Amino acid sequence: MEPILSVQNLNKYYGDQVGCKNMNMTLYPGEVVGVVGESGSGKTTFINSISGNLNPDSGKILINTNNEIINFLEISESLKRLLIRTELAFVHQNPRDGLRLDVSAGGNISERLMSIGQRNYGNIRQTIFKWLDKVEIDKSRVDDFPRTFSGGMLQRLQIAKNLVTSPKIIFMDEPTGGLDVSVQAKILDLLRKLVRELNLSVVIVSHDLAVIRLLADKIIVMKNGEAVETGLCDQVLDDPQHSYTQLLVSSVLQV
Amino acid sequence: MDNVLKFENKKAKVQNQDEIYNFAYLDENTKRMIRRALIKALCIPGYQVPFSSREMPMPYGWGTGGVQVTSSCLTTDDVLKVIDQGADDTTNAVSIRNFFKKTANIETTETTGDASIIQTRHRIPENQLKEKQILVYQVPIPEPLAFLEPRYQETKKMHALSEYGIMHVKLYEDITKNGHIETAYAYPVKTNGRYIMDPSPIPKFDNPKMNNNPAIQLFGAGREQRIYAIPPYTQVTSLDFEDYPFDPSKAPHKCSICGSNESFLDEIITDDDGNRSFICSDTNYCNQRMKDK
Repeated sequence: MEPILSVQNLNKYYGDQVGCKNMNMTLYPGEVVGVVGESGSGKTTFINSISGNLNPDSGKILINTNNEIINFLEISESLKRLLIRTELAFVHQNPRDGLRLDVSAGGNISERLMSIGQRNYGNIRQTIFKWLDKVEIDKSRVDDFPRTFSGGMLQRLQIAKNLVTSPKIIFMDEPTGGLDVSVQAKILDLLRKLVRELNLSVVIVSHDLAVIRLLADKIIVMKNGEAVETGLCDQVLDDPQHSYTQLLVSSVLQV
Repeated sequence: MDNVLKFENKKAKVQNQDEIYNFAYLDENTKRMIRRALIKALCIPGYQVPFSSREMPMPYGWGTGGVQVTSSCLTTDDVLKVIDQGADDTTNAVSIRNFFKKTANIETTETTGDASIIQTRHRIPENQLKEKQILVYQVPIPEPLAFLEPRYQETKKMHALSEYGIMHVKLYEDITKNGHIETAYAYPVKTNGRYIMDPSPIPKFDNPKMNNNPAIQLFGAGREQRIYAIPPYTQVTSLDFEDYPFDPSKAPHKCSICGSNESFLDEIITDDDGNRSFICSDTNYCNQRMKDK
């Protein structure tokens, strides 16, 4: 099986400061890769660099679309933006960054559909209802503005907005950050269901080991902009080798 | 006393020769700059060309963009018509017409067919325009994406890459809220199959007139410093959905003066009891029909 996304020797510097250094990653279809690390370890820089939000300084990002391997850093901006709104999706930590707050919930979900050329209102409406159902938002809220939604609903709406065009790769930056525990659990439950149901390929960034353990197949542990340990999720978390990973695992609060 | 006399003499002179104003108010270099923008705009239908808009002796929002475009197009042989919401006799139309009478000493008219340049605020004349006529629109906000995407850099990119999905989000919202596309003026159009363009706040009733029009259509936005254009015989289509097609819509009334069933109507409240009547918004069209009768 060919990897759907492969990152090779990726570097991103902010002047003299290291953003992330010498990062490697392979993502296979249907796989979830978790990126963990403390604040400032370069997680967000990494995910922004591979999703087209930031321009990395060097390295390769190979994306496999329709059996054609494209180096994401060498393609034209128009193709890049086309990929970003069709094949890739980005779920922001703060749903307000990923949604248009002055456009109704349905309108938010429909944007990607219309940007790929759907022009039939009836069909678009149907797809919207299907997705509201999938992310467990009541259909009666379809014409309400996102600003009337709770934090958890906003996050679910953002997920629906991103998944509506069936993107191949989904990037998530702390999707449950800033939500209370019970809502977090609900979102995680939903994400796990969608990942299994739709066979999604996901790169998820979190500082929360529980989130990663629940969702991810593979894990990358980052510190000071570098990957200090990689491997299968359960293996790394149950038998951490690097001292930093050991520290990370042992500092999880037990209830 | 001498000074007063001098002033009086000068004033008399201005009527005949341009001693104070250059022809059509703007200086020649400015007109040349605007003409360059106009030519570029005509070459790329619907594309917004930036130009360095000048301060005009009227407030922004009163047609400073249109006036600059008209000024750059005017020659001594031109016959100018100015309309405001279709009417030749409202304040904006009268004062702009007088402005060019004074500064360019050109002939003006109220008859659509006789004019070589027509400056308009928010209407297209009812009578079919001809080749060699120029229609100059006054534009308040040239960017059709402005209300959806406030970042100018981003809208520029969206135009460059034809990322127009968001434009349909606006129409989607309309249908969702009202059951039909509620946008009744400044209805977005696609020009020559490429650029999405704001046709200025003309009623959507006028949108079909832009399509394949033999006249040159120029759009000037003074405050926003943009010029765009539709060359003659260019395809202009109004955006819509397959199951909610574009509908120019027409008030179900007749003009109560000339009886026309085809023209765009103004609604006039006639008394305190809520009685109303409908009359043509294009005064010249209405008057001509009355004369023909």
